Parts: sequence; C-alpha cells; structure tokens
Amino acid sequence: MTVTLDKVAKNFGATRVLHELDLKAEPGEFVVLLGASGSGKTTALRMIAGLETTTSGTITIAGRDVTNVLPKNRDVAMVFQSYALYPHKTVAENIGYPLMIRGLPRAERDKQVRDVAGQVELIPYLDRYPRQLSGGQRQRVALARAMVRRPAVFLMDEPLSNLDAKLRGHMRAELKHMQHGLGITTIYVTHDQVEAMTLAHRVALLEGGKLQQLAAPKVIYNDPENLFVARFIGSPPMNLLHGKLDAGRFLLGDRVVPTASRQSSADAVLGVRPEDCRLAEAGGGTLTGEVYATELIGDHTLVTVKVGADMLTLKGSKDFDAPVGTPLGVAIAPERTYVFDGPSGARLR
Amino acid sequence: MNLFESKTLGRMAPTAALIIYGLLGFWAFVVVFPIYWLAVTSIKIRLDVINGPLYIPFVDFTPSGHAWHYIFYDLGNDTFRPYWNSIIVACFSTLCVMIIGTAASYALARLSFKPRLSSIIAFILGVIAMLLLVAWLGLDWRLAVASGLALFVILVLALHRAPSPTLGNSDILFWLISQRIMPPVVAAIPIYIMFQRIGLLDTAPGLILAYVTVNMPIVIWLMFDFFVSIPKDLDESAELDGASKYRVFWDIILPLARPGLVATALLVFIFAWNEYLLALFLSTANAQTIPILVAAQNGTRGPEWEYMSVLILIMILPVVVLTLVLQRFIAKGLLLGAVKG
Amino acid sequence: MQRESLSDWLDRHAGRVFLAPAILLVLAFSIFPLIISAWLALSRFQLSANGWDITFVGFNNFKKLLFGSQQFHFVGTFAPVPVLGWLILAAVSALVLWGLWRYLSSGAISILGIIGRLISFSLAILLALMFTFTLGDKAQIGSLATTLFYVVVGVGLQFLIGTGLAWLCAQKIKGRDFFRVVFFVPMMVTPVGVAYMFRMLADMRQGPISPIWRGLGFGDFAWSTNAWSAKTMVIIGDTWQWVPFIFIVMLAAFESQPRDEIEAAELDGASPWQIFRDITWPSVAPVAATIVLIRVIEAFKIIDLPNVLTNGGPGIATESLTLHSFIDWRTLNLGGSAAVAYMLLFVSTVTCVSFFNFVVMPMRARRT
Repeated sequence: MTVTLDKVAKNFGATRVLHELDLKAEPGEFVVLLGASGSGKTTALRMIAGLETTTSGTITIAGRDVTNVLPKNRDVAMVFQSYALYPHKTVAENIGYPLMIRGLPRAERDKQVRDVAGQVELIPYLDRYPRQLSGGQRQRVALARAMVRRPAVFLMDEPLSNLDAKLRGHMRAELKHMQHGLGITTIYVTHDQVEAMTLAHRVALLEGGKLQQLAAPKVIYNDPENLFVARFIGSPPMNLLHGKLDAGRFLLGDRVVPTASRQSSADAVLGVRPEDCRLAEAGGGTLTGEVYATELIGDHTLVTVKVGADMLTLKGSKDFDAPVGTPLGVAIAPERTYVFDGPSGARLR
Repeated sequence: MNLFESKTLGRMAPTAALIIYGLLGFWAFVVVFPIYWLAVTSIKIRLDVINGPLYIPFVDFTPSGHAWHYIFYDLGNDTFRPYWNSIIVACFSTLCVMIIGTAASYALARLSFKPRLSSIIAFILGVIAMLLLVAWLGLDWRLAVASGLALFVILVLALHRAPSPTLGNSDILFWLISQRIMPPVVAAIPIYIMFQRIGLLDTAPGLILAYVTVNMPIVIWLMFDFFVSIPKDLDESAELDGASKYRVFWDIILPLARPGLVATALLVFIFAWNEYLLALFLSTANAQTIPILVAAQNGTRGPEWEYMSVLILIMILPVVVLTLVLQRFIAKGLLLGAVKG
Repeated sequence: MQRESLSDWLDRHAGRVFLAPAILLVLAFSIFPLIISAWLALSRFQLSANGWDITFVGFNNFKKLLFGSQQFHFVGTFAPVPVLGWLILAAVSALVLWGLWRYLSSGAISILGIIGRLISFSLAILLALMFTFTLGDKAQIGSLATTLFYVVVGVGLQFLIGTGLAWLCAQKIKGRDFFRVVFFVPMMVTPVGVAYMFRMLADMRQGPISPIWRGLGFGDFAWSTNAWSAKTMVIIGDTWQWVPFIFIVMLAAFESQPRDEIEAAELDGASPWQIFRDITWPSVAPVAATIVLIRVIEAFKIIDLPNVLTNGGPGIATESLTLHSFIDWRTLNLGGSAAVAYMLLFVSTVTCVSFFNFVVMPMRARRT
C-alpha cells in the first residue's frame, strides 16, 4: 500500500522538530529513514503510526487520508525498539493479541498464530513468557505480532539496535528476506547506515528535521546531494579537502585538481572516497603529502596522509609499512570527485 | 567510643548489640502489650477487672467467656448491625474509590491534558451550576459567589503559585491530591445538609460516597507512580494492534499494576474501616459503623472494660489481619516510591 | 471529515472519561461544601417554626472566636506570662526574622514570594503571641493552641522515635523483618480502639501500669483531671499509633543510602557520627521532610483520641479544633462550627504550604 507524507511538519512546543517532509513509499517498497538522534526520523515514523499528531501536512495510507484517524484504525503494525512485548502474556498470547481484539474465534486465532510463529521459527516457544526468551527471540516475537495482522504498512523503530553485532547481521538478512516475501510496504528507522544501505530500496536521510536526500542506496552513495550526505554515508567516511573552486578546477594550495564540476566558489570542499584514491610516488599523483598514520586492518591497511592542512584516508595493500612522515603522493580520478560549496554544503555540479 | 567499635569484622560490638536489641525489644513490647491487655481483659469477669491489674490468665485469674457471650448473644443485633455496616461501607467504598481513582490516575499518568478553552469554560459552567444548586438549597447565592471568590484568592496566595496560562497534568494532579489537606470537618456540615435534602443521611450509600471522596487522593497519588513506571511502549503497541484506550487499560495496564492495586486497595480498606469523623456526622442510627458504636459505648459502658475489650478486639481484628498482609507488600518497597517522589 | 463512530469518539476522549468521575466527586463533595461552609461561617443558624433560619452576620462568628464570647474556647484565657512563654515568643521571632533576612538577601524576590512569606510569618508570630499569653498558671490554652500542641509536639516526638527506631533497625541486626512486621501494626489499629486501649492502660487504679505508678509515689494523681497530663496522654496514644508510619518510611530511606559513599568514607577513616552527618542525613532528609509533612497534614485533623480518651476534657483542655467544631455542631451552632472549621482549614493550609515551601523543597533541592 502506498504511504504518502505531504508537507508533514511537527512542533514540540516552540521547537520545530520536523520541517515539511514530503515522502512517498510505493507498495511493497522498503524505505529507510536514516539519521542521527534528534534528526526527526522517529517523530516522522510515530506520526505515520498516529502516536503523534501532525502540526501541519497530511498523511495518506492506501489512498485514505489518515491524518486524524486513531492509530488502531490505520492498519499499520509497528515493531518497537524495545519490542514492547506484554510481560504477563505468553508468546502465543502476545502474537495473537491483535487477532483477539478483532474478535477472531479461538481456533482460527491459534491457527494463524502457529502459521506466523512457524515463519519466524518460534513454534517451540509459544508457551513461554517474554522474560524467558533471549533478545533475538523476543525480537522475533515482536516481528511475528506485526506480521500476523497482514497490515497495509510495517513500521519499524530501530528493531535491531538492542541485539549484539553478530545477531544483528543475521537478523538483517532475515528481515530483508521476510519483507521481500510478504511484499508489505515498510518504513524503517535507524541510525546505522549499514542497515540502511543493505535493507532499503530507498533511503531518506534526515538531519535537523529536514530531508537531506531521498534516493536508492546506490545513488546516495555515488551521488550525494550535499556535504552532510557525503559525510554520513560511507565507511571509512569520504575524504574532504578545503580549498577554492575556479570554473571546475579545484585549487588546493599550489595543486590543481580537475573536477567534473564547472562552477566557482571562493570556499569549496573537494570530496573523494578512500577507495577512489591510490597511493603514488612522492611527487607523482594529483596531490602530495606525508604519512600521518597507518592501521593494519587485516586484508588491507588504512593509510592516513597529511596533505597541507587536511587529512586523507585511503586503503593500501596489507604489506604497506612506510613509517610516519614518509612523503608520498595520492592519485585521484577526477570523475570520482565531488565538489561542495563550503558555507551551504550544496553540491556544485 | 571504643565500647561500640566492633572487634570482629561484620559483627557488632556486644555492647552496641545489647543496647540496640534492648531498645528494639522494648518498643516491640510497647507495641504488643496494649493489644495483649485487650485480649486478656476480654476474658475476665467484672471482679477481676475491678480488683486491680491481673496480667496472666490461669495464673492470676480464671478466664471466662462471659464478656464474649454477652456481646455476641445478649446484645446480638446491636453488635452485628454496626459491624455489618462497617463491612458493607468499607468494601463498597474501597471498590468504588479504586475504580474511580485508578482511572483518574491512569489518565493523568498517560494521557496529556491541555485543557482547551472549551474545557475551562465547561469547568466554569460547572461551578455556576453548583452555585445554582446553592440557590436551590435555599441559601443566598450572592454570598456563596462572594465567599467562593474570596476563597479562591486566599488559596492561590497561600499556595504561592501564580495560576499558569496553560494548565497541565501536574496541576490537575496537584489539585486532586491537595484535597487531602482539607480537614473533613469543613466539608462535613454542608454534606450533612446536602444529604438531608437528598435523603442520603444515615444511609450506607451516603457514607460510601463520602468515604470515596476523602480517600480518592490517596489512590490517585499511590497509583500514579505505578502507572508512570509501566513503559509507554506497551500502551502504544496495544493501540496499534487495535485496542481502544479502555481495552489497553483493562488488558495491559491493570494486570501489570496488580501488586500496586492490591496494596492500595488494602490500605484504603483499612482507612475506610477506621473512619470516624464522617461517620460521626453523617450517620445517626441505621448506618452507624463499628467505630461509632465503640465511641458511643465508651460513654455508656466506659468502665466496663471486659465488654469494651471484646468490642474493640472484634473491631480491630480485620484491620490487623489485613495489615499483616499489606506489610508484605510494603516490605517489597511498593508504595514507598510515592513518598520519595 | 467522516463521521466517527461512537466507540471511536469515546476512545478519543478516553482521558476525559477516565478523569471525569474523580473531578465530579471532588467538585460535588469537596469544593461545593467548601463554599457552603464559608457561607455558613458567615451566618447565624437558628431553629424556627418551619425548619431553620439562616441569617447573614458577616464576620461575627469569627469575631466571637477571636475576641468575643467564644474566645476562651478557641484562643484561651490570658494570664501573666511565664518564662516558657517568652522563650517561645523569642524563638519564633528569631526564626521569622532569620527567614525574612535570608529571603531578602537571596536576590530572587518576587511579589508572590513576599506576600506568601508575609502571610506565613505573621501567622507564626500571632500563634506565638497566643501561646505566650495563654501558657501561664492561671491561664488556659484554647483549642487552637491545643491542636498546635498536638501537631508540633506529637509529630516531633513521632519523628524522633520513628527515625531512631529506623536507624537502629538499619544496623546489621538479625530479625529486621520481624521488627518491621511488629512495628507496623499500631498504625492500622482503629484510632477509636487506640483511644480506649490507652484509657484502660492509663487508669491508675486498676490499669496494668498502676503498680509501677503507685510505686513511684504518684498514687493519687488522676491524670485525667489535669489539663497538661490529659494532653500528654493524647500525645502518648497518638505517638503509639503513628510512630510506625515514620518508622517504615525512614527505614526504607536508610536502607537505600548510597552504599558506595559510605564505604569510601569508612576507608577514609570517618567516624560513624561523621558518616551520619555528611552522607546518611543528606540522603534521607528529603524523605524525612516529606513524611513529616504528610504526618502534619493528618495531625491537624485529630479527633478520635481526644473524643474517646478524654472527651475533650478536663473542660476543654484536650479539645482539638475538629472536636471543638463537632461540639458546636452538636449544639446546633452551625455558624460557629463552620467558623472553627474554617480557622482550622486556614491554619493547617498555611502551615502545610509553608512547611512544604520552606522545608521540603530546599531539602529536595539540596540533594540534586
């Protein structure tokens, strides 16, 4: 089902927490709201659920205006960060709760609960209580409870953040598989860019209550709209060098880096991803600098190079062992660079 | 003070231990002795009472069931009616106050109130309706308005709080709980008049209504802490699952707050059982509760210790038993959070 | 906008539905009677041929209480001032002046703060004056002073004993749970029962303490015929009943002290007294202040004990304000009864709010 947010904004008292947000999730799409705490992503999610009111704007689900509709009538299911399992009910009762409210007869209810429990491998635990389950199992119960209703929309509020790293990776794959199988529109909130990049069809990056970019992961990675997006996405983060831009030529000290842009700016930032830089001989390459630090990761070495007043990180071979202070050069492919306006952060194309 | 320093780690010095246990033991004796005296006196005959203090049954005197028999058989109905009234009034008032108070407390803990202009106007209309009632009761309404306004000003000043432009939950909560400061005697006389007009005087429902009003602040105050400690996620999850707020309250919140509910209900039952002043004002013959009976008998039968002891024993027995049950809850730290907060 | 179903409308307004009964009850049985009482306090009630007559008399009832025919009952009778009287006046004045000076020099002054403090402090001075002039040998204190006596001395005693017991119980002793259970019981015993129990216990002819009493040489002293000993008896009964309340809460407070800080202090060589003063007391002070406030609120309303134990006697010596009001009501002096009730309301509200603002809040602020 389509979910549309049309100029949705939210104030808490005098503070504007979400500036007018426009978002449209297509049926079956997995949209991730990505951002740091305070970016407004959770507020947006809760407004879709109806747990917060909108200050302005409209929300529609499956073509129906739900802006003023009570949460229970919106046909959305939510998985909370804390799972929100009812401690005094068994796993089966937790999962079956939405069905019980709708008045489904017991036999039918049990059947559907078993069905869903089977899909998340919880059948042996149906009679246990939440306090007897592990973190991963509780998460699956929360998931099952959302699934059993076959809602129009899934909402997920950082469902994986309470799991340990290993389990998180496993559950990511499970979630993706499940969503693909069910084909239900999903809006997913997280601060973890890895989750966003791996799970989403499209990512909505939010900061300070404003939408920075809404695009597929590949586009966000390779074609960032502004400095914030460029910095947020990517690990290790994009290298940023400060200088001037003159008709597409980036001036860094006495070096010139050709870029794909054709604009000018007195205060510009050049961005280039670590994987698009290569080590070169001192004096060769686009830029010169000296080794500042090296970190052996295992299969490669992270080399930090001091270029003028800026630092640049790139990946060297696992055998790289030049000492600190060694002069060397860095080669940058011009078509892989991005230029941003210093003060505004906007991308200069 | 080296006497008090302990020689061995983890244990107290013997002198210190002696003093501490001694003091505690003394107070335990002080607590138990009056009740023991009651019990012992209730099995004495008149002569034993008059001839000076006799302490131990079978050693100092021969126990007799005479007083018990008298109270239960010879006075039969006169004893049972107030006892029965006490039971009815305490049970029903506890039930009602738990329902009304818990609901109000939940609303204040969970749902935020920003009384809009319409609500405030409704409130003022309610006050005006009250004043009209005053007129109906045959009293001069202009004076009621004047005194009401004067009251309001005095109370506001005394409370050192400027009325804030936006009322919120905490204001409503404060207002409801601060009702406890008001001495019941202030309200007792008008309630007496009101009840007389409506025909609720000297009836159990009348007493129940009055008891509910005075005990409500306690329920709201104690349950508030409980509700605040239940994670809001659970409410929201149930709402999304399709539950109405009433359903959330019944299915999710109440089961989780059960220990608090039981402890509060016990406390309120004990308070209702022990209530004296309101019963004094609002009952005359039919709805008398047992504390009233005892107080009245104190006048007519005062020196007859053995009969009074029986009466008092049966009066305090239920609450002492409930206290022992309640004590288990308190020991677990329940209800104390409210005091700290 | 579609029309909502009834159940949805009820759901949306659930908060109001939940809250409404409570508010209605308070309005009907608390606020409304409050207003009626105010009106009654300003009028004279007389039985007449067809029911009753209520005539407006302004502040007459209050004048009677403070200056007129009821003054002996409410305020007391005056007499030459004993030393104790001057001491009380001096102590209260010093406290008030100190409080005023602290406030004025704190730099955070507001109109409301000044008005509030003026009300509290003038009341304190007036009450002190009242005590001063009614404490003499030939004098007699009235119901207002008696009630204050119960509140201040009673709660004070309960606090000292309760906290002391709690502190003892918080030491490393065995059987703490046993003491907890036993000590808790008196609080729930019906006050009317407590009153009669102590009436029996205090009997000096056939009561259980009489042998000790006679042995000490007090043989012929009948406590119930002496004003101050009767008041003391009420205090004893009240204390027996309410010590558990303070005890339970203070015990919990002592048990939840910051263990880390205490252990650190012990390692540093601090003495038990220093630990108590610097660590224990600051952490329990807010709880202590709150519990004393709660006790003070309830203590003002005392009626069961004076009524059953001493019947207000001898004379009016043990009459609390509530009892005074009740007796007036019984004699169909509704106006006077309401006036006394209002005085009680005023004094107890100002005292409780003052206590809250000047004691409880600062204690809580200190902790954070």
